[in-house]
Amino acid sequence: MTHQISANVQETREMTINMGPQHPSTHGVLRLEVVLNGEVVSRVHPHIGYLHRCFEKHAEAMDDYSKVIPYTDRIDYVSAMNQEHGYVIAVEKLLQLEVPERVEYVRVILAELQRIASHLLGIGTFGLDLGAFTPFLYCFIEREKILTIFEKISGARLLYNYICVGGLMRDVPDSFKPETADFVKTFRPKIKELNDLLSYNKIFIDRTANIGILPAEVALNYAASGPMLRGSGVSWDLRKNDPYSIYDRFEFDIPVGSGEVGTVGDCWDRYMVRVREMEQSLVIIEQALEQMPDEGNVMEAVPKRIRMKEGEVYVRTETPRGELGYYIISDKSPSPFRVKVRAPSFVNLSILPAISRGALLSDLVAIVGSIDIVLGEVDR
Amino acid sequence: MQTQIKEGFQTFKSIFIGMGITLRHFFQPSVTIQYPEVRDVLPAGARSKLFVNIDDCIGCNLCARACPVNCIDIETVKATADIDLGKTSTGNPKRLWVTQFDIDMSKCMYCDLCVHPCPTNCIYMVQEYEYSEFDRKNLIFKFSDLTPDKVIEVKEKLVKETEEKNREKELAQQKKDQEKEKDAGKTGE
Repeated sequence: MTHQISANVQETREMTINMGPQHPSTHGVLRLEVVLNGEVVSRVHPHIGYLHRCFEKHAEAMDDYSKVIPYTDRIDYVSAMNQEHGYVIAVEKLLQLEVPERVEYVRVILAELQRIASHLLGIGTFGLDLGAFTPFLYCFIEREKILTIFEKISGARLLYNYICVGGLMRDVPDSFKPETADFVKTFRPKIKELNDLLSYNKIFIDRTANIGILPAEVALNYAASGPMLRGSGVSWDLRKNDPYSIYDRFEFDIPVGSGEVGTVGDCWDRYMVRVREMEQSLVIIEQALEQMPDEGNVMEAVPKRIRMKEGEVYVRTETPRGELGYYIISDKSPSPFRVKVRAPSFVNLSILPAISRGALLSDLVAIVGSIDIVLGEVDR
Repeated sequence: MQTQIKEGFQTFKSIFIGMGITLRHFFQPSVTIQYPEVRDVLPAGARSKLFVNIDDCIGCNLCARACPVNCIDIETVKATADIDLGKTSTGNPKRLWVTQFDIDMSKCMYCDLCVHPCPTNCIYMVQEYEYSEFDRKNLIFKFSDLTPDKVIEVKEKLVKETEEKNREKELAQQKKDQEKEKDAGKTGE
């Protein structure tokens, strides 16, 4: 609720306080310099860079394009599979490499599973910020199932380094298909449960509806993407609008914010877009599992040595947080000349000062939570 | 007034719905395990710790070159002609003494990139995950089975061999030069 200071309220002196870098609800090491007028936020200035790890410079120092992949995992450690996918697509486009069918399907299934896992974490921590502890734990139970699937195929739970240029590091085990299908089946009722427990909870709605309203126009001006943009009612999803990989073969809807309980583009809408996106991811996974060929060598198209031609490429993919872009310049040498990342969290965070003006300090927590930032990606 | 009652009713309703769900979960089996007593079974291929089967290592340095963070340090010494180091279990002949094979697990980022290029499959991940240390130096795992004395011996042997070879070469060269001079003298007559 944008708070209006009525004339009879005594004017207070403005006070500057720091929220973070160790504040639990800033989701990492983000420092918000908040200028307060009483309890009302007049200005917010985010200070970033506490988790800067020189990804782009590291990428230039690697003497092989495939050595960059473990670093891409660490950009956004909550959705590492999507990060790898984006980078690998960019390198493959530069190499003009054709990837086997089976690999494409496995990649899409993994990317969608990772999207669900990432949204579960985003939703869970959003509830946690607002004082709802139980949904957080239930979200983690479901996320754990996905991580177990990932651990079985790649050997790691968080930073996979599984998708490689031209294929996959190893073939998926036989148990992958039935386990994923089983997860899809058991997860649907859990979304309903989550809706009952959190989404349509009166207390939760009161904390999030009509808070941090982001009009579509402002969202577009700030180049927001992902649930942040869709929450404002703009139907824009790169999987539909600029299909990469094999996303043009699947039928799914793009959930957008509708102002069901408040105004279009408020925190609740952004939250709900994530919940509905999980359902759509399940739809995509079901279709992919059905169409996926059972046989096929996943290492078939993997080049022994990556011989790069001169050139540059920009590839954008839809990660759980929005448009992830990789701009790679190659100069024939084995190491990339330049790797630029367009990180969705970074761009989405830039809207924070615009939408939190006039909000209460306690609502600022809700607004930051609804942006769903990962500081690893903001700072890289 | 009416809206207040309505809102109050909705608040209570959502509290009871939430309580109902948590109550249902209360009777479901727990998903957590009591870690030190009960251990989860890791899937095959879980990446926890690097291990090197040094008997199979041919010292080709491919794993060290594949490492993005340079956590593998390998030093090799060429085996002298009188020693046959045998073959690995995969049939590759061993020609180098691996005098040093250190892996710094504090640097390792568990990416598995070193495992794939190995021609003899002697470096791989094992499922040991409890190896925390108080001192960071203890996380450098040394896999070479040669004693320091043996390393010195091997190095000295190689130096001797190369010296001998060089001397032989020099002698051969001198002979050649002498012959050439003789030839030149002959043609000069």
